[in-house]
Amino acid sequence: MKDLKHLIYFENLLQEANNELVQQGKKEGLRAIGYTCYFMPEVLLDLPGCFSVRLRAPRCTSPDIATYYLSGRVCHYARSLLERALEGGYNFLDAQMGTETCTATCRFQEHLQQKHLDSVEDMRIIDNDDFFCEFTDIPFKNTENSYQHFETQLRAHVLEPLHEHFGVDVSDEAIVKTVEEHNEVCRLINEIGDYRKLDNPTITGYEFHVIQLVSLVCPKHLILPYLRETAEEMKTREPDLKKNFRCKVVLAGSENDDPDFTKLIESCGALVVCDRFCYGAVESRVPIVLEEGKSPLRCIAEHYLKTSNCPRFMPQDEMRARKQRLADLAKEYKADGVILASNKFCEYWSYERVIDTFILKRDFGLPVCSIEKEYINSASGQLRTRFQAFVESVEIKHIQEGK
Amino acid sequence: MAKKNLGKALKDFWYGKPHTAEEGGRRLGELYEDKTGLLKHREWRGVKDTFYYMYMIWGYNYLHMVTDILKFSNNPIDFVKGTWRYRWMGQTYLPVIHWFERGLQGMRGEALYASAWHYRAMVSASIHQICTFFNADTRLHGGKENDAYRHTIYVNETTCGTLFYPWKDAGYQYVSMEMIPYFVTCHVNSHTVLNYIDAVQSLGLPGDPCPMCQAESGLFVLDDVPDASPFVITCNEACDASVSTHTLQDWFADKPLFALPIPMQFDDPLVKKYCMNEIEECWKFVEEQTGTKFSWESMVKYLERQNKLQRDEWEKWEVASKTDYYPINGVAQALFRIYSTQYGIQGDFWEEASEKVKKIMYRCVEKKINPFPKTRHRVIAWSCAPLYFSNWCTWAYNCWGLNTIINMDSLMFDMEIRTDSYEHMLEDMATYHMWAPMRRMAVGGMHHIFELWDYMERFNCDMVAMYDQLQCKGMQGVHGLFEDEFRKRNIKAFWIPHALPDCRTVSRAEIRRQINDYMTTVMHEEPLDPSLLDFDDSMTW
Amino acid sequence: MNKLCKKLLKLLGVLFLANAALFVVFFFDLDGKLMFNVVEPFLKKHYDNMERRDVLKTPYEVDKFPKYKY
Repeated sequence: MKDLKHLIYFENLLQEANNELVQQGKKEGLRAIGYTCYFMPEVLLDLPGCFSVRLRAPRCTSPDIATYYLSGRVCHYARSLLERALEGGYNFLDAQMGTETCTATCRFQEHLQQKHLDSVEDMRIIDNDDFFCEFTDIPFKNTENSYQHFETQLRAHVLEPLHEHFGVDVSDEAIVKTVEEHNEVCRLINEIGDYRKLDNPTITGYEFHVIQLVSLVCPKHLILPYLRETAEEMKTREPDLKKNFRCKVVLAGSENDDPDFTKLIESCGALVVCDRFCYGAVESRVPIVLEEGKSPLRCIAEHYLKTSNCPRFMPQDEMRARKQRLADLAKEYKADGVILASNKFCEYWSYERVIDTFILKRDFGLPVCSIEKEYINSASGQLRTRFQAFVESVEIKHIQEGK
Repeated sequence: MAKKNLGKALKDFWYGKPHTAEEGGRRLGELYEDKTGLLKHREWRGVKDTFYYMYMIWGYNYLHMVTDILKFSNNPIDFVKGTWRYRWMGQTYLPVIHWFERGLQGMRGEALYASAWHYRAMVSASIHQICTFFNADTRLHGGKENDAYRHTIYVNETTCGTLFYPWKDAGYQYVSMEMIPYFVTCHVNSHTVLNYIDAVQSLGLPGDPCPMCQAESGLFVLDDVPDASPFVITCNEACDASVSTHTLQDWFADKPLFALPIPMQFDDPLVKKYCMNEIEECWKFVEEQTGTKFSWESMVKYLERQNKLQRDEWEKWEVASKTDYYPINGVAQALFRIYSTQYGIQGDFWEEASEKVKKIMYRCVEKKINPFPKTRHRVIAWSCAPLYFSNWCTWAYNCWGLNTIINMDSLMFDMEIRTDSYEHMLEDMATYHMWAPMRRMAVGGMHHIFELWDYMERFNCDMVAMYDQLQCKGMQGVHGLFEDEFRKRNIKAFWIPHALPDCRTVSRAEIRRQINDYMTTVMHEEPLDPSLLDFDDSMTW
Repeated sequence: MNKLCKKLLKLLGVLFLANAALFVVFFFDLDGKLMFNVVEPFLKKHYDNMERRDVLKTPYEVDKFPKYKY
């Protein structure tokens, strides 16, 4: 396939958290608001006057000081974020919108927070006088009580602080306008992503992963022109005559902002056609529907609780439906199997991965490759062997089924 | 010389050998058989205390282990059948007295008498829970769902039992599916839990998630959870691994399940309303499942008893913090408090024990009896303790004079619940629920974990025993900040690495070695009883 | 009277012997040794060899239970 015009540019944007477009946004006088988890609605951090940056720590392989603070027994992602923060890599941030949605990232964010307690000295990691870190309580369920609670929390811990600290317009009108821009990003990403559903997709999983990531880490208004252009370009992009993959897979699992991981899978012959993991597009690029009779904030609160497939959700029907939804995705994207990948030390996905591995195979007949990975995968040899073996097993299954 | 020796021998016979090596005292480490931790012979504590131990602790508890079954069981045969069916039961019930032995080793006088009452209450309460299981378990009744089954409320792990008081007077019992099978049994016999951890890992679960949750899941994998209730209530315990285990439990239990979350940011006043609503939804679920209405009278009745127990505890803490006359040792203090808050008011065992202990305590105060006369340091233990070596504090006192006055687990549910109106009760219940074990301090903002300094002052402690649960992401995530604060505040603190129930990760000997190293290299102190420095109990219960 | 005394003495003797035997069990941790060396290995063997339900065969149906949302 012909190279995408902006792919190298996008790749460069992913080399640093404080990338070119983030710097440009800051120069325009916008406030950079960091966050780590899907449950922090990025759309609210993109209100006029500020922009959201989902935190990454690219190329962080040795988080030594962070390991002193968090120990070597919490996930590499959280440690890498703290290390990058300690290195000064997030000094551009004006605020961090924290969530206690997983313990490790919560602890990372608590290290950033100025707690003003006598009992523990604040570290002042982010060298920015305006910086503050605010936590939002995220419900574990998608019920009426949870929607109400989430709405209250978002108002108190996102909208009000943004308004008080930076004078951000948090009116309903401003929210509606931001949702429109957000939905355009979603529409474009989905449009680009839908080419993965073709029999012979005209976009690779790696390319899509890169595009999805830039949409999470750059100011929306600055990345939008590139996304529009890429979507246009995709309309006429021709696939390679000969399929250069041996099977298609859904990649599901925990935090993953490393496109090289997707590249590694694809280099073994498995095309990643669907990305259902933290930082993936399956949930985060579902357009937000503003319903009549409900405030925009309420709609946003409901949207994020209804769309999430996070194993953090506790209701019985949710726990069970997650399996079905994953199988449905495999069907929708015509995937031959599922790769389940959890970060080492991720409690949620350690269990979810084990359970999915059994249920997807047993109840849905899907071949599953279950692996544990690091945030940055330096030891790729072992993973490569696993993926190659998986691809072969899928091919054998196809032969046996006479496909 | 011979006369002097005879005099000392007689004195030792009558009073028991003195504590320290300097006094030519006891050598408790030499009582152990190599590896097994069994005793070559029990310690001679002097005439009075040896026979008190034999009759009032050893014999009394063996006897009550039988009478409690007769008291709480609908049919004692079920108890036998359950023992035969469940590993956690059979391998654990009989060595209970050894659990006493480990916790009470070296104790004399009031320390021995009072601490043993705490143990007694825990055993009695555990038998009550075991009987609740076995009375209702369909597996022991030919697959039949009997009346007890229909009157049992199953909760997950440390879900706050207090929530279910409204159904108590209608004959409902609540029981945690995992507390007895893995948590309690691990204190008594750390061997059984390893089977459960291995079982869940055999499904492909990595070894790094919290081993407590692994053990809980393993119980289900090995099908070792009694089928004793028609429905289940789960709680997140404010811990990632706890949430994660629910899917496995839901899959294998396959019963109607209500998820009762604890909000994470519990200091935020806005979360209370949300939590109160969740609790009310949980009550609706119980009403729906049992067909029995919430009873305000029943709620008030048991809450008032619970509040009284809490006030008793405050009285005890007052003495512990301000005097040297508190007769409860570190392990008896911690476990009694964990067990009593977990089980709630299900019988009168807690209240009875508390009254007896208070009586002994006030005798100490009046007669100025110091039950731990060899105390060199008053220790506060912070974070969660190793289940397989909860008696480390007994060892630490005997070996080094480290007297654990209070611990984080004890301070978790530190409140009364108002009963003057439904609204007040619900509001306080939400707080109580949010202050779940391992939760108030460990996660939910850093504010509470660093309350350590305030509690150190309140309890007049000069040293910190910092538990280091290697697989608890929440506590690992504040490791460096604690190190910084210890240094800055010049606080004497030693770390106790452990893996909750899994004694294979950090052995007891390793824990002792770490404390020994700290006491010799940092504190430059000599052991009181050098025989306890190093011994091999690798195979012990 | 003599008979009663004798009976009482006998009873005291039996009690004493029973207590002495109990003391031996207590003091030498014979109960612990019995549990550790005999009872536990026996039970362990029993539990290890026990037939258990294969829980992995438990169905995991999506719509088996209603949504408990109030």
